[in-house]
Amino acid sequence: MSVVIDILMAILLIYLALRCMLAPELSKTIFTFFAFGLTLALAWIRLEAVDVAIAEAAIASGFMGVLLLDSLRDFSYALSKNPKNLELPENFTIKESNKSLLLPRLALGIGFVIFLLISMEATWKTPEGGGLTAVSEELLPQSGVEHPVTAVLLNFRAYDTWLEIGVILMGLLAIFAAGGVKNYRKPSMTAVDPLLRQVILFFIPVLFLFGAFLLYFGKTGPGGAFQAAVLWGSIGILFHLGGWPIFAMIPRKLRQFLLTMGLGSFLILGFLLMAAGGAMFEYPPAYAGILILIAETLAAISIAVALTAIYVYLTK
Amino acid sequence: MDDFFIIVIVFLLLNIALGLVRLLRGPTVADRLLSTQLFGTAGMAILMVLAGYMEDLTLLNVVITFNVLSILLVICLVQVWKKKKGDTP
Repeated sequence: MSVVIDILMAILLIYLALRCMLAPELSKTIFTFFAFGLTLALAWIRLEAVDVAIAEAAIASGFMGVLLLDSLRDFSYALSKNPKNLELPENFTIKESNKSLLLPRLALGIGFVIFLLISMEATWKTPEGGGLTAVSEELLPQSGVEHPVTAVLLNFRAYDTWLEIGVILMGLLAIFAAGGVKNYRKPSMTAVDPLLRQVILFFIPVLFLFGAFLLYFGKTGPGGAFQAAVLWGSIGILFHLGGWPIFAMIPRKLRQFLLTMGLGSFLILGFLLMAAGGAMFEYPPAYAGILILIAETLAAISIAVALTAIYVYLTK
Repeated sequence: MDDFFIIVIVFLLLNIALGLVRLLRGPTVADRLLSTQLFGTAGMAILMVLAGYMEDLTLLNVVITFNVLSILLVICLVQVWKKKKGDTP
C-alpha cells in the first residue's frame, strides 16, 4: 500500500521539477522551486534519510528562499526602472561561428555515454552487505556518538566535513570579492513596523533554542552542526530584516574571528591529535564525544555567521 | 490502522497537488507565497502522519524545522517587497 504514496510523491516531484525548469516567469520558477524543495524533503523521509530531510527543509525553504525572493525583487525592480538593464546591449550581435559543431557534439555524446556506463556500473556493483555499513556499525561504540550519520560525518570522515566548512568560507570570500556591483540603488528599508519587530523578537529565541537542540541531538539522532547553523544563521537574517544591522555592529576583527573559527578549530584539533601521536582526526575514544561536540558547536557558530554574511552582502 | 495513515497521506498529497493551481496561476507574488505556505503546512501534516506510519518520532524534528523557518519567507516578503503605500507586492 505504501507504494501508492511513493508513486504519487515521485510523480509530484518530477512534475514540479519540470514545471520549475520550463516556467516562463521568474516568480513562477522560484515558487515552484520552493514546492519542489518541500516535496524533496518528503521524498528524503521516505528514503529514511532524516538528516538530509532536515537540511533540505532548513536550507531550501529557509535560507535559499530568502536569497531567491530578494534576487527576484532585484530583477523586477531593475526591470521596472529600466527594462533595458536586463537586455543585451544594442550593438551586441552573436557572432556566427563557422567552426563545425561536430566535435563538441561528439564530445557531449561520448561524455553522456560514459556517464551512463559509469552509473550503470555503480548500480550493478553494489557490494555485498551494503558496502561500509557493517564496518561503521561495528566501530560505532568507539566513535563517541550514537547516531551513525554523525559518526561518519564527524569522526570517520571528519576530513571531508572540515573541507566542507572551508567550501562555505571560500564561497563567502567570492561574494566579498564580487560584492557591491549593481547598477541601481535599492530603496532603503528603514521604516519597520513595530508589530513586525515584535514577531521577529518572539521568533529569535525559538530559533536559537531549536538550533541548540538540533546541535546536541545530533549525538543520538538526526541533526547536527549544519542544520543547527542554518537555524542560527536565520536569526541573523531576521535581525537584518527587522532593521537591526547586527553583522555591521560586530567589530571587524571579531567578525573575521567568528567566520574562521569553525575551520580553524578543526585544523587545531587535527594537529593536536597528530601531535598526540594519532592520525589527523583520530579522536581518542574516551574523549571523542566531547571533542566532537566542541568542534561541532564552533563550526555551527562559524557557518551561522557565514550564512548571515552571505545574506547581508548579497542583499545590501 | 496503516491503511488509515496511507489514505490520510494520499489525501494530503492530493491537497498539495490542488494547491499547485494557485501557485501556477496566482497573478501576484503574495498569492504564490501563500500557496507555498499552504504546501508547508500540508507537508508538515504529512510528516506528522508519516511519523506515526513509519514509527519514527525523529521526523517531528523535521516538522519543527519547517515550522520555525516558515516565518522567515513571510517576513522576507513583507520587508523586501515593501513598496510605496497602496502597492500590492
